[in-house]
Amino acid sequence: MKETKRRLETFSFYDRTGLEEHLAQMAEEGWLLDKIGQFLWHYRRIEPKKLTFSVAYFPKASAFDPGPSEEQETFYDFCRHTGWVLAASSAQLQVFYNEGPDPVPIETDPVLEVESIHRTMKRSFLPSQLMLLAVAVLDVGLLVWRLIDDPIGLLASPASVLTAMCWVLVFVLAGVELGGYFWWHRKAVKAAEQGEFLDSRSHRKLQIGALVLMGLGVVYYMLSVALSGSRMMIVVAVLMFCVYMPGLFLLVRGVMGWLKRKKVSARVNRVVTIVSGLVAAYLFVGAITFGVLFGSTHGWFAEQDEETYEYHGNTFTAAQDRLPLTVEDLLDVEYEGYSREHRGSESIFLAQYQGYQRARFDAERYKEMPRLEYTVTVVKAPFLYGLCREHLLLDRTERWNRDMPESAWYFYEPTDPAPWGAEAAYRWTDREYGPRNTFLLCWPDRFVEITFDQEWEVTPAQMAVVGEKLGG
Amino acid sequence: MPRAKFQTLTEQMFYILLCLREECCGIDILDRVSAMTGGRVNVGSGTLYDLLERFCQAGMIRETRVEGRRRSYLLTDKGRETLDKEYRRIQAQAEDYRRHMGEERYP
Repeated sequence: MKETKRRLETFSFYDRTGLEEHLAQMAEEGWLLDKIGQFLWHYRRIEPKKLTFSVAYFPKASAFDPGPSEEQETFYDFCRHTGWVLAASSAQLQVFYNEGPDPVPIETDPVLEVESIHRTMKRSFLPSQLMLLAVAVLDVGLLVWRLIDDPIGLLASPASVLTAMCWVLVFVLAGVELGGYFWWHRKAVKAAEQGEFLDSRSHRKLQIGALVLMGLGVVYYMLSVALSGSRMMIVVAVLMFCVYMPGLFLLVRGVMGWLKRKKVSARVNRVVTIVSGLVAAYLFVGAITFGVLFGSTHGWFAEQDEETYEYHGNTFTAAQDRLPLTVEDLLDVEYEGYSREHRGSESIFLAQYQGYQRARFDAERYKEMPRLEYTVTVVKAPFLYGLCREHLLLDRTERWNRDMPESAWYFYEPTDPAPWGAEAAYRWTDREYGPRNTFLLCWPDRFVEITFDQEWEVTPAQMAVVGEKLGG
Repeated sequence: MPRAKFQTLTEQMFYILLCLREECCGIDILDRVSAMTGGRVNVGSGTLYDLLERFCQAGMIRETRVEGRRRSYLLTDKGRETLDKEYRRIQAQAEDYRRHMGEERYP
């Protein structure tokens, strides 16, 4: 039979009522709180019984204290005298239980209790939550900006979708926690003046829901990366989730715990822990970035069908990916020396991939080899179709034109979609030079932007092939 | 309206100060208040800890002895003044009550 149990408890720091009820319930089920860990709370098996729990806050305590201060010990002595036994503590949070049938509460003056809770919150909970909210606001703001600037790039990337989801959840959680606390505190002050302690409440369902969503998001991201087959993406994901994050966490906890064991003062511990965490974070990220860049330039992440070649003293990569549409599908030609690249990303909302067929610089007939480039955007979530269409058709041209002289403006001019087998077709038209050889083709679930060499006169038969191969 | 600091005293404040008319350590106060009031008033350990600190800061009591973690306190002149003032306030309240409720009911 298991003698210990660990649980993830999602109570708000100030929710003493919820915590007390929960711990009493656990004791009735035969589990007594033993230790409060960084993530998990530890329980030990006891004879199931009715215990009264009291959560008290000791504002002067800190997570960096080498042990309970003398003042804290005096407080414990007082509590012990009235039958309250310390079950566990974490920074300012002190959890006691009492086996007596009707014990005198630890706090008997609601005004003082609310003041004590507020002093505690001002020391730890409020600054950390406000900082978290500020960072979340900044990140959500950047995401909104990117959603306006490059919605397809954002929504087609599993990493960006995961990051966006996490920051939105952090923003909501921090906002609800702070709002919930201020709302409770305002009411609690009024209730305390009437001699009552206002019960607090957590937002446990929201917290659990957010944690589950983040967990699912990480699993989805890891699966996406694994299925993408990109060595570099896999290496970066493994380094970030399996080395960087747990490594940084263990290092910070390790430094803090070691300094506590060495009985170093809370002030020194705080400074050393924060500085070592920041330095380690920069070093980790720097090492990963350097490693990935170094590896990329040395072909560590090269796919099996990729090769590097030298041309005029520079190193270039040539790929031989399987492309859904090739120059050879459209022209009856056969050239040696093409690089065929097929890159892309896919999320639950969108998939976007690019196909490039370009002559290698060292190809013998470089100058006469036709070039083909296209981007296919598959809309998996139909509600995003309008957004993608507007972005591809209008937003990008508007943004381009805004920064350019009027002579260099361009726009997509409607053209006949029938030869492509598409629903709509547009041709990139330059105000000065007239129609260019870039087309935007629309199907009910996808968009294709395709660019041919300017000298290439695209025939209706070739258009039909494009529609057949890329139109879905 | 929030209570101005120590302008009036709660029952718990009143009895803690009353205990400290003679030197007394924190833990003893917990028992004495209860005994003094026949169990009608009990001071919680957290509330007592907090109030002793506040009374010290306000100069209403002073620390007289430290034996390990056992600290003893004694009422100061300022504390005695506050206690007297509170007594007079309670007395005036009781007299008002008696006057308005009738002498025959509360002789």
